[in-house]
Amino acid sequence: MKLSAEERWDLIDRISKETVTFGAYRHTLTDAIGELTIKPLTGIPIAIAVLYGFWSLFGSFAGTLCTDGFFVKFFDGYWLPWLQQVFPGQGNWFYVIMVDAGGIESGEFVLSESSFESFGVLTSGLFLAIGVVLPAIFIFYLMLAILEDIGYMPRLAVLIDTMLHRIGLHGYAIVPTILSLGCNVPGVAATRILETKKQRFIMMTLLAIFIPCGAQIGIMEEVVPDLIGWIMLYLIIGYFIFGYILNKIVPGRAPEFLIDVPPYRRPLARNIGKKIYGRVTGFFKVALPFVLLGCVIVGILYQMGVIQWLGGVLAPIFVGWFGVPPETAGPLVAAFLRKDLAVAQLSTIEMTEYQMITSVVLVSIYFPCVATFAMMLKEGWKDLLWALAVLAVVVFVYGGLIHLIGILLGVA
Amino acid sequence: MTEESLPSSPSIAGIYFALLGIATVASGLAELLLTASGSEFVYGILEIPGDIFRGGWGGFVVLSAGLLYLSGARNMVDIHQFAKVVMGSILIWIIAGCDIFAMIAESIPGGEDGPWLNTLSGFIETYAPPYSPAVLLLPFSLVVIYYVRKRVFLEGGGRNSS
Repeated sequence: MKLSAEERWDLIDRISKETVTFGAYRHTLTDAIGELTIKPLTGIPIAIAVLYGFWSLFGSFAGTLCTDGFFVKFFDGYWLPWLQQVFPGQGNWFYVIMVDAGGIESGEFVLSESSFESFGVLTSGLFLAIGVVLPAIFIFYLMLAILEDIGYMPRLAVLIDTMLHRIGLHGYAIVPTILSLGCNVPGVAATRILETKKQRFIMMTLLAIFIPCGAQIGIMEEVVPDLIGWIMLYLIIGYFIFGYILNKIVPGRAPEFLIDVPPYRRPLARNIGKKIYGRVTGFFKVALPFVLLGCVIVGILYQMGVIQWLGGVLAPIFVGWFGVPPETAGPLVAAFLRKDLAVAQLSTIEMTEYQMITSVVLVSIYFPCVATFAMMLKEGWKDLLWALAVLAVVVFVYGGLIHLIGILLGVA
Repeated sequence: MTEESLPSSPSIAGIYFALLGIATVASGLAELLLTASGSEFVYGILEIPGDIFRGGWGGFVVLSAGLLYLSGARNMVDIHQFAKVVMGSILIWIIAGCDIFAMIAESIPGGEDGPWLNTLSGFIETYAPPYSPAVLLLPFSLVVIYYVRKRVFLEGGGRNSS
């Protein structure tokens, strides 16, 4: 049967009268709260409060309760002394790589007193992986899953959309950014949700340079808790400055986005559990081998004197351009393999607060860790090479700029 | 049930939350000012933190909670105004919840040279005053739950016309 246009409209009217209830929409309290979280005037303070809760719980759980409360005691008080005693060949190269790099005092090999200083695969490596990274990653992904399942993340995406458009991205870019704060590897994978090549390149480059992973944040929380705010501030400022520049120079489109904002929901424990299990096990499968392998390679390079040599060669740049002590050259070179280990190494060097802030920011922006490097390579070697070229320029310019700010403030 | 059938309780509630808003704004400002001066303030059971994270960042959140209370206290019958008051309370719960969780995290381990778990007296001591302004404001902010439940009950499922 063929209907005319008029008959079709009549049919639509009849169907809609039978199936659609007309009337004024009645707002619920959750609707009204939902609107408050999207409007900039109220939404921004609420987002600031949510992020405060995020980091406060992160610090209390991972830092105070797990790492300081139990793991430091276990690894420093029991695990390290036991391994130092039972592992054969104290002082030889294998012992140094696996258990304790120690130190030489008056020509004698001296054992380290903490797992932070020992730099062995079985001591520092396991301590970082289990004692620092595991609780940090667990609480990070727990809170992220809760925010996702409540329905807050799409609202955050809407709220930050205007700001991210200025750097060539859109609201969805908040997903890879926040994921990267747990681990850069899933963050780089999540850049695929962005539509254009330009957006993916900008996002991947910014993640690799300015977003510290959970392992690094966990270590910062442990060794420089008072400075973490300043370090993060420098990284956020850099993220937007260089994002803005990249948006101007990288050719391509940065389209608008449409998002369906769901109503707020009560999260289900089973779903949260599944998400955490998947993400934590994923992190350990992908990133943990790199943590341990990184310890081995850093140990070998130290043993061969490569890092000391590179540190010596690069020291004039570190001291003159970045304004950090010459001793930081070694950890900064080693940061290519393990950023978290490099931060731990930096904490043992004597320097001013501002030099510490500069050093840790440099470690963050210096180079993506090996796992992220491998993930970026998967996304395409051309983009990786361009990202590395951008990175080299950013490190040099931003590192120098931070030093200059310090000089102007009279603290560097 | 319509908004008109909720005339008396919102006015009492309005005064209550306006006063709570003033106290909350004062607390937030005090935290921000102390952070700016780099000092801490302890008086009786009250301790106003002055560090950049808790005093600065947290202080801004407390101040925002107070402003939400003040903004929403007028004409609380309107669902959008009432939502501001609820959100003000939620912000207080976030800050106070984090402060309380920090106490819990500190109370369980036995300390660097102590046993694995804290002693009973050490555990209880951690919860002794002084407390931050958000923790002291927490019981007063919980009053909003009564009004949320009342609204849900009166409106039969929490619905109201906007």
